[in-house]
Parts: sequence; structure tokens; C-alpha cells
Amino acid sequence: MARGEIELTKLTKEFAEVRAVDAIDLQVPGGEFFSLLGPSGCGKTTTLRMIAGFEQPTSGQILLDGSDVAYTPPHQRNVNTVFQNYALFPHLNVYDNIAFGLKRAKRPKPEIRERVGKALELVQLTGYERRKSSQLSGGQQQRVALARALILNPAVLLLDEPLGALDAKLRKTLQIELKALQQEVGITFLYVTHDQEEALTMSDRLAVMNGGKVEQVGNPHDVYEDPETLFVADFLGVSNLMAARIVSTSTSACKVAVDGYELETRGTDLDVTGEAKIVIRPERVGLEEHGSESGPNRIPGMVERVVYVGSAIQVIVRAATGDSLQALVQNTGAGIPYEQGTPLQLHLPADALRVLPSGIGDAPSLKGEEPDPEPAAAAEP
Amino acid sequence: MTAVAERRPRTFSTSARLRGWLRNPWGKPRLLVIITWAYILWSIVPVLIAVQFSFNATRSRTIWDSFSTRWYWGDPVDSVWHDPTLRHALVQTFKLAGADVLIAVPIGVLLALGLARWRGRGSGTSNFIMLFPLVTPEIVMGVALLLIFTEVFTFVHTGTLAQILGHITFSISFVVVIVRGRLFSIGRQYEEAAADLGATPFVALTRVLLPLLTPAIVASAAVVFAISADDFVISQWLSKGGETDTVPIRIYSATRAAPLPSVNAIATIMMVSTLIIVTLGFLAWRLFTSGEQKTGTAAEDFGTAFRL
Repeated sequence: MARGEIELTKLTKEFAEVRAVDAIDLQVPGGEFFSLLGPSGCGKTTTLRMIAGFEQPTSGQILLDGSDVAYTPPHQRNVNTVFQNYALFPHLNVYDNIAFGLKRAKRPKPEIRERVGKALELVQLTGYERRKSSQLSGGQQQRVALARALILNPAVLLLDEPLGALDAKLRKTLQIELKALQQEVGITFLYVTHDQEEALTMSDRLAVMNGGKVEQVGNPHDVYEDPETLFVADFLGVSNLMAARIVSTSTSACKVAVDGYELETRGTDLDVTGEAKIVIRPERVGLEEHGSESGPNRIPGMVERVVYVGSAIQVIVRAATGDSLQALVQNTGAGIPYEQGTPLQLHLPADALRVLPSGIGDAPSLKGEEPDPEPAAAAEP
Repeated sequence: MTAVAERRPRTFSTSARLRGWLRNPWGKPRLLVIITWAYILWSIVPVLIAVQFSFNATRSRTIWDSFSTRWYWGDPVDSVWHDPTLRHALVQTFKLAGADVLIAVPIGVLLALGLARWRGRGSGTSNFIMLFPLVTPEIVMGVALLLIFTEVFTFVHTGTLAQILGHITFSISFVVVIVRGRLFSIGRQYEEAAADLGATPFVALTRVLLPLLTPAIVASAAVVFAISADDFVISQWLSKGGETDTVPIRIYSATRAAPLPSVNAIATIMMVSTLIIVTLGFLAWRLFTSGEQKTGTAAEDFGTAFRL
């Protein structure tokens, strides 16, 4: 069995009136890069803090390599944490910060010196031993925090939005470095974030959380392409939702009716009948010229708004069904291809359309006017 | 500049000023600056005059003659150095203040740690009760302490021991308030990080929390010293007269009899030593917090520690 296996069973945490974490079950095999993704207040940080030992669960189990550590104090757990604001000790220099854990473990001095040197090498900060944390940039502090946690060779490394305080460009670089580092050291990383892109690019698998519950667990591809709930569809990037009535379902293909237009969608193994929602990612919405040959899954529409976002052009189209859909067109440098009021034809490919039962995840009437869904907007810093 | 503005006559009548202020209340607040400086002068000038007359060459405390250090050590009978009552008062004051710092600060720090980290039933109430000594009139506290030492704990006789106990009683609250403020501002993250890295709660306290609390501890020691040296009411109630009189008591009784400039001299010594202690406290604060993120200037942050 690989080291660093985490298993949460019916883990619950209640604060006064609020149930922050609501009976979640999770299995993370050893050596995996696993992310907890969700909006602020979804319980992801509380879950992490319970695994670290800073919070005691109200009920449930935390199995670390098979033994229940739910009530073990934090200093006796074989997990280490990279804190959101790093929590580097301001009165100690880089060397003493990194050596702190080894000194507590009463390791001999030469060993400490050697391991700190190696850890600094690992995070590319050799030569910074005597600096105070206030003399380091945000990215360097983040690396020191990482070295300080990794040096103890924990079974699991917990990371609480470790890149949250950094600027966008540095964040991108460190995402790649962090992933490479995880593959190099091979220990389990449990990564908490509200940034769906971060979770998708780095994780082996991720859990999307909402309201203290896990909505969906899977690898990035499955969670993005096959969202099981409206919340997941919505939180992971922008998605277009339309109210639909189920005509027929099967595991290979479904037929739905949207305001008189019959559309074919991907198959589903969910049990949906009657009123449902269909969802499509903006990058899968095809735009065709008005009057071009009609085929299946095509709806006429009219351009409502065109937004230039740099690498792509966002076209918001009012479909004949009354729904406002967002389409993403690659910016080829040819200028903005559409203008407001242009009539055109929407192509919603059957393999990009997915049926979801309405009501789950309380998706509000998101796609009225605003193209940005509320939960994702709230989670953005 | 617009033509309209140029054509307007540049009068400085009161009404024009008022109109100008109403149009732009965010302009430079000249009046406020004047009032502020006037206030500072008003409060500092009497002190400076008192200091000046401690260096007077004659026995007068109102008519300036010439500069001399006669009232500090020159005069063989009435100078601070040679008058045994004044010298005793000075020694007694520093004795009380020193003992107060040495005892009240450790107790206050431990109490602050307990109160700040105690979550649950009664923590709110106890935090509130902690503020009582700060708002209780000192005279009430003095009477109460005297009653306790004469009626209940009679083995504590009035005099130095009772005075020290009295000073500690009201000093602890200041220490608690200052240290607790610092505890809240540094948060729990460093303790959690220490625990996460394998430190037992005791090690987390000694290796992480206490070093981080040092500026607050130093600041509270300076404050305790200053308020103890400054105290009159409690020292007076618990004094047994004569050799247990402190400087404030001495000054008070001397002023009622035939005051000499030596009273000014001893007051100046007290003021300067308190200033030195507080300045050292400030420098220590700046030294120990130098690596941290600033919310304001060092002086402002230091001031925040005293916001009670």
C-alpha cells in the first residue's frame, strides 16, 4: 500500500449553528495530487483543517494509512501544512524556519544542516538561509513554506490555497513547479483552492464541494466534460444552461425539446424525466451564418453582444428559444467577426450537450442576462 | 484656470472663507492645525516652566534668577541628593515600580494567554471583568485595598508590601489588555504552524508565541513602570508614612507646606526617567517588530498597543 492514503468517512463539522462540513466521504490513494475545489464557505478549508488537526470533527473518521487520527493532536500527525499566508515565523530566518520541525524531532545537528540544504535546493532557494521572511518576495516565502513542510517527509502535504496571495503570472509558473515537485517527491498532496483552472491543471483527481457536501469526484477531464450536477457544470467555467423537456433518454443518446426545438444530446445514466436542464460549454457552441443549411441541433439566433477578451471573442447570442447563450470564438486576428443584431444560426453539437436534472445544486435562473454565473464570480478574488 | 476663477476678487473675509470651506471641506484644514498646536503648547508649557524652575539658583519657584543644579545635589540640606525624605521617596518609588513590573508583567502575560485562547462559557464575561480595574475610580480601589489589608489579610501590614500588592492589582489589567491585543493581531496561525511542525503546546508557547509577544511584553512593562511611578492615590492609602512615602506623595505634602525648587527637581527626575523607560520600550517594540508587515508607522503601531 502506498504511503499517504487518506480516507474520510461521514466526516462532519458543526460550528455553533452552521454545518460547515456535512458527512463527506472521500478516498485519496497515496501519492495522488488531489484538490478540493469550491466557492468560499463550501467547507473545503474546514475539511483540510480537520485533516491537519486544527479542528476536531463533530463526528466521522479520518483514516490516515488505515488508522483513525481524528482526535490526534496536530503535532503528533504525520501530515504537514502549507498555510494560505505561509505563516513563516517572523522572528526566525529562512534556515531556522525550515529547520524548526527537525529541531522539534531532536535530529542531530549535522543531519539538520544537510537536510535543510537539500530542501533549499529542492525549492531553488540555496543561499537564502540568513534572510528574514520579510526580506523575501511572496513567491520565495511560498517556497520556504513548502520546504519547511516537506522537510519532515510527511505522508500527506496539505496546501491551503498556497498560491492565492500571488499575482496571476507567478501563480501560473508555480502551478507547474508545484505539480513537478509533487511528482518528484511522490507524496500525497491535498490541495484546497477556489480557482477551477488551478484545480483542473494540477490535480490527478478533484472533489467539487458546495455547502459542506461533495458534489462530484473525478479526474479533471470527467468533472469538466461530464458534470453531474448543475452546480459543478456552473462552477467549472462558464456554461450555458437551458430549460428543456425530456422526450427520451438512454445511455447512448437523449432527445429533449427546448421551446419547440428538438435537440439531440449525449446519453446519460442519470435518471431524468420531465423538466430538466441542458448544458453546453461556450467553446462548443458553433456559430453559423444565417440561412446556411439547417440540420439537427440548430437554432436561429441573433447576436446580442460581442466582448473582446484577448485570446478569444465572446459572442452572446439570443437564441430563438429565448435563452441567451455564450459562444467563444478563437481570436484569429481578423477583427471582430460579428456585430450586434447580426442574425445567425447556432449549432449545438449533440456530443457537447448534456442533460442534467434541474433543481440539484440550486442553480438559479443563471442564464438570464448575465453571462457570468454567480458562484464562480463570488469565488474569484 | 478658468476665466471665472480669475475674475473673482481675492478677498479673505470670513464669509468668503466659510463659502470656500463649504465648497471644499476636504481642503487643507488650517484651523485644525492651529488648534492642535495651540493645544500641545497649552499642555506642555506648564511642564516646561516647572522643569525650568528646578534649575533656579534661588529658593523661589516663581521668580527666575539664574541657572544652577543646586536643587539636584548642590544644596547641602535641601537638595534631592541631600534631603533624606526626598531621597527616600525616590528610592521607594523605583522600588515599587520595579517590583510591580517584575510581578505584574508575568502574571498579566499568562492571564492574557489564558483569556485570549479560552473559548467557551464564561470567556466573554471574564474578558469584560478584566477591564474593571481600568474603570474603577482609584480612590475606591484604594479604600477597598486598605480595608482588605487591615481587616481581612491582616498579616499584610500597610507599607511597602501592601503598596506593591496594590500596584500589582491595578497594573495587571494594563498588561492583559496590551498583550491580548497583540495576541489577537498575530492570530493563531503561528501556533498552528508550530504544532503542525511537531511542536508540543509548551514548545509552541516558548519558541514561537513568547518571542512574537516580546514587543507587547516590553511595551506593557514600560506602561506598568510609568503608571506605578505616577500613582498617588493607592500609594498614599497603603503608605505607613515616613519612609514609605513615594515621590508623588512627597511632592503633594511638600507643596502644601513651604515648597522649594527641590520639589521641581524631583518631579523632573521622575518625568525624565519615565520618558526614558517609555522611549526604551518604543525602541524595543520597533526592533522586535521590524520584520513584520506594518499597518501604520512604528509610532502608530506602538500607540495602538496602549489603546485601552
